[in-house]
Amino acid sequence: MPVKSSYHDQENIFSFWPRHNETILKRLESKDAWLSTRRGIEFSRAKDALEHEMTLNIGPQHPATHGVLRCMVKLDGERIEKCVLDIGYLHRGVEKLAESKTYQEFMPYTDRMDYLAPYANNVAWCMAVEKLANVEVPERAQWIRMIMCELARISSHLLWLGVGLMDAGAVSVFLWTFQGREDLYSIFDEVSGARFTVSHSRIGGLATDLSSKAIDMIRDFAIRYEEVIKGWQKLLNRNRIWIDRNKDVGTVSADEAIALGLTGPNLRGSGVPYDIRTFEPYLKYDEVDFIIPLREEGDCLARYHIRVEEMLESIKIIHQCLDRLPEGPIRADDAKKTYPSKNEVYYSMEGMIHDFMYTETGIAPPEGVAAYHAIESPKGELGFYLESDGTGCPWRARINAPSFTNLQGLESMMEGHPVADIVVLIGSIDPVMGEADK
Amino acid sequence: MPDSLNFHFTPVDKARPDEQNAHAKASTDVTDVIKAIQERFPEAVTEVVVYAGEHTVFIAGEVFLNVCTALKEELGFTYLVDLAGVDRFQEDAPRYEVYYCFVNLQAGKRLRIKVRVEEDDAVLPSITGLFKAADWNERECFDMLGIRFEGHPDLRRMFMPEDFTYHPQRKEFPLLGIPGSLPLPPRTPEGELTMDPFAAARSGSPAKSYQEPAENDEN
Repeated sequence: MPVKSSYHDQENIFSFWPRHNETILKRLESKDAWLSTRRGIEFSRAKDALEHEMTLNIGPQHPATHGVLRCMVKLDGERIEKCVLDIGYLHRGVEKLAESKTYQEFMPYTDRMDYLAPYANNVAWCMAVEKLANVEVPERAQWIRMIMCELARISSHLLWLGVGLMDAGAVSVFLWTFQGREDLYSIFDEVSGARFTVSHSRIGGLATDLSSKAIDMIRDFAIRYEEVIKGWQKLLNRNRIWIDRNKDVGTVSADEAIALGLTGPNLRGSGVPYDIRTFEPYLKYDEVDFIIPLREEGDCLARYHIRVEEMLESIKIIHQCLDRLPEGPIRADDAKKTYPSKNEVYYSMEGMIHDFMYTETGIAPPEGVAAYHAIESPKGELGFYLESDGTGCPWRARINAPSFTNLQGLESMMEGHPVADIVVLIGSIDPVMGEADK
Repeated sequence: MPDSLNFHFTPVDKARPDEQNAHAKASTDVTDVIKAIQERFPEAVTEVVVYAGEHTVFIAGEVFLNVCTALKEELGFTYLVDLAGVDRFQEDAPRYEVYYCFVNLQAGKRLRIKVRVEEDDAVLPSITGLFKAADWNERECFDMLGIRFEGHPDLRRMFMPEDFTYHPQRKEFPLLGIPGSLPLPPRTPEGELTMDPFAAARSGSPAKSYQEPAENDEN
């Protein structure tokens, strides 16, 4: 039955989902402006024409919100008195979709969650399934996964750095970091055949081995970019404008950060040394030598330092991985649990049957079991909680997305700052809406 | 003829809890914590399931909030990592389960707690008073499964707009959605609201984002 549209009605154009806007506004009005009691910030109540209270809606289409984040803020003059965030504009229901896909079939969806570091998401998903179904991954595949995860971390942090500086008004750094991302795209292209959504990891290993050209490209990148990143540090670490924009903005203490559930660089910027790579070492992180950058200030500048230092640590890890890369298979040899090799598929009947069965039914973990596996993705702890009913599709696939958790902390971080700091704060939290909205 | 063939290509495996798991972590060995909970609240732990080195601790709903308080204040689990609901959808068990993942940062331990929720009375006490991080997760759980959290300061929907009345992650909710449940913008500038974005998948008329030329076109 066609429903009469009120969409083009000029009066009703802003009440497309009227109840939704109404509830957000109601929440904003009823929210306790806790700043004056909690942080001791006194609001000026002068009868100045420019210091009136105002309700402002920023996003979801605003370019500074890095996607489709909607901020409803109540301003007192130029200062944010209270703020309500609204997300869900990119909600695709991937958790629901996972329930009707086989485990391997779901992997391309993880590419599209945190689309700035797709390889890390692939690995997170594969490792969760491997834990659930108890699949052992060959050594070489684990080392390659580590290399690619660290490249994904650099790729994500490069975008954060460029866009963060562009938010603060410096456009040229954005062009430089995108040059770096371009080089990384070429590496991903050489490794997996895709530049952006790589889908290269497989349950039980990898799709293809690294070519010698790819190894050269990775080594070249690691050597060149160590100098480049140090050059950016020289440019920014003592840059007066950059420091003034970031210092003491969005300060979160360690206790507050734990209470708010912040994760990743945002948590470590407040002095909490929680990194899954050392907390619960996965892959071969317990065998390589690296440090976890830590700051105690908890402001945007601390988070900047952490991310840039993390990139340098990633390069250190990549060098060690390349030096220690062992020879051997890249995928477990078990037709019930992983895809057979292409040679087997093309030249043997059994291989072809196994390939068909794996695509059709896939891996089937034991009935009624559950497992949680987390990795340190560029944004923080990315965990998958899976429950199996014994078939080839998960009964429940829960995604613990770091951007979602971090955005929750942003709401209280913004309160008390001038409007101009919103863009810097969003940038320093580094959310990806594809992941936060699931 | 039987109505359905009771035949699986891949036989369903049973879990073997004693099996060694290559991905098991030392941090998920929480037998001491479970013992401490059992001593403090003798009736609280109803079941403990072990798989892949992980303990899933089922806690009775009545004492759940007290257990969480003890976890935070006495046992050092101050960091809430994850909270989500699961729809069991079976006749002989309570309909929903809500799972909580806590981390003890000092001791390096990770604990998973589950609480069962009945379908007729899908209400749990909110833990936002103890863990601020539970705020959005509880809202998401309410949005997706319709479990209400008593004492939550702001139990709105998380992802779906308030105009939507269903809870999409329940197992009975169709994957292609319910037509008319959520109006979306028109596909053509002069068109009507899109009430069913998946009309094509339902073998209805395929939705087009452009105007078809008139049928009596001379060409």
